[in-house]
Amino acid sequence: MRRYETLFIVTPDSSDEDLQAVADKIKGVITGMNGKVASYDEQGKKSLAYNIKKQNRGYYVLMDYLGHAEVVAELERNMRLDDRILKYLTVKLADQVDPATVVAEEPKPRKQVDETEVAAEEPKPREQVDEAEVAAEEAKPREQVDEAEVAAEEAQSPEVQESEEEEKKEE
Amino acid sequence: MVAYKRRRRSFPRRKVCRFCADSNVKIDYKDPKLLKYFITERGKIIPRRISGNCARHQREITTAIKRARHIALMPYTTIQPH
Repeated sequence: MRRYETLFIVTPDSSDEDLQAVADKIKGVITGMNGKVASYDEQGKKSLAYNIKKQNRGYYVLMDYLGHAEVVAELERNMRLDDRILKYLTVKLADQVDPATVVAEEPKPRKQVDETEVAAEEPKPREQVDEAEVAAEEAKPREQVDEAEVAAEEAQSPEVQESEEEEKKEE
Repeated sequence: MVAYKRRRRSFPRRKVCRFCADSNVKIDYKDPKLLKYFITERGKIIPRRISGNCARHQREITTAIKRARHIALMPYTTIQPH
């Protein structure tokens, strides 16, 4: 068996009952052809990047399932006929999957690991760097520089004027 | 030759493919937030010589963007200014 993933869009004006009906129908198609639904995830209403059938929003549903190529053909045929489904996209995730192993290896543990790693790695260096920089900037140089700059500007401005005047005279 | 050298100087930094540098980031057509860094304002795919991706990851990005366009997560084109 192969593992497939289908992302499809349901009409935005469909009610919860409609969504449930679509879910039951699609799951029925897969299980009816000896396929196996691994996950059925309704991602909620999102705005579309472009209008499909004059709609600019839609309910996105991501479904992960196992089956043979005929299952995909039958599923897509049903989706084409169903007016509630605006568009669909099927992607093959893996060849030759044993259906017994799949339900056990849901992708949840991976995500958790990723999140903890990210949380542990990222914040530490950033904060340290930020604090060090801020401390370095704030402490001494600013005041000194400010005073020095003001003094320098005051000193320079008459000189600049003088030099300009001199240039004019020379011309 | 001079003009050629000057052009090269204006892009001194050789960009490293960010997906090779960080293997945690996975290219997925369902993630338009990531993919939108690789399209222009008009919605065109940014070429490899500018994005700095390696060939393999640019290919993955390209297929991902095309899939995302098909399922309306990303635009084929934005509305043209008149």
